[in-house]
Amino acid sequence: MDSAKQQNEPSELVALTVKQVLDDGNTDTRIVVLKNDDASVTLPIWVGSAEGNAIRLAMERVVTPRPMSHDLIRSFADHLGVRIERVVITDVKGSTYYASVAFASKGVHRTLDARPSDAIALALRADCPIYATQDVLNRRTAVHLDAWINKIDTKNIEPQQA
Amino acid sequence: MITQMRVKGLIFDPYNNAYIVVLRDEENSDMLPIWVGKSEASAIGLALENVTAPRPMTHDLMKSFLETFDAKIISVVITDLNENTYFATIHLMYEDSEYTVDSRPSDAIALALRTSAPIFASEKVIKKQSSEELEQWLENLKPEDFGKLDT
Repeated sequence: MDSAKQQNEPSELVALTVKQVLDDGNTDTRIVVLKNDDASVTLPIWVGSAEGNAIRLAMERVVTPRPMSHDLIRSFADHLGVRIERVVITDVKGSTYYASVAFASKGVHRTLDARPSDAIALALRADCPIYATQDVLNRRTAVHLDAWINKIDTKNIEPQQA
Repeated sequence: MITQMRVKGLIFDPYNNAYIVVLRDEENSDMLPIWVGKSEASAIGLALENVTAPRPMTHDLMKSFLETFDAKIISVVITDLNENTYFATIHLMYEDSEYTVDSRPSDAIALALRTSAPIFASEKVIKKQSSEELEQWLENLKPEDFGKLDT
């Protein structure tokens, strides 16, 4: 029974969920906070404000009057009968994270290079799983960030909700 | 009736802290200004300047998605304007069928510029837009605002 599970979920991938999108008080950026199931692993990814807002809208299931860019990608996929299967945070070089989006159509599988912000915004809209490779988690921009994020978390509750 | 338009440029609108995408027809007789947000303007600006970002931007991902599945953008059409909400359609050809996808004009234009697809505007939207908003905007513009446009 373990082997079946491993086929669906390769062991080097860790499933993550988006916990929150924080405002970085010092710059006009957002921090997307991803955690694994038991919240023992945190992966913070810095993204631009527009990218962060796209993720927030999807997290809060806000339906905008007009389709946003990632709604449009979802709509293209729906029109073409393409399924968005999963997104993977694949690599980190310096402070730049890399991601891929896996699509499937009639048994054809394709993977496209993407920024994590696009991949995550899309995953939330397509209800598909988000993974990070174990390698990325091992090399993520240092564990001391956890403490830093926890500090921001309690300090900036109001700006977060604004 | 639809008219083919070209993107003539992007202007900063200090009044609304937004950007205006200026579309003109071939004879330069009709002009269609479309107000867009900062990130939408930057998606259009990068394509106008032919800048390739180090990482794929959202519309680059859109383009590579369509290419990967052999879907081709035939055209985009700015179809309507209703109380500051703009409407556009993206016309796709996929497996010998045509699909019409609802979109914001900013996404449609950003994608059209990346795929060299023609941009059209409906007669209705050209009439509405050029008469209503632009005149109002120009009237409200103070001389000192022109300096800001250059920056």
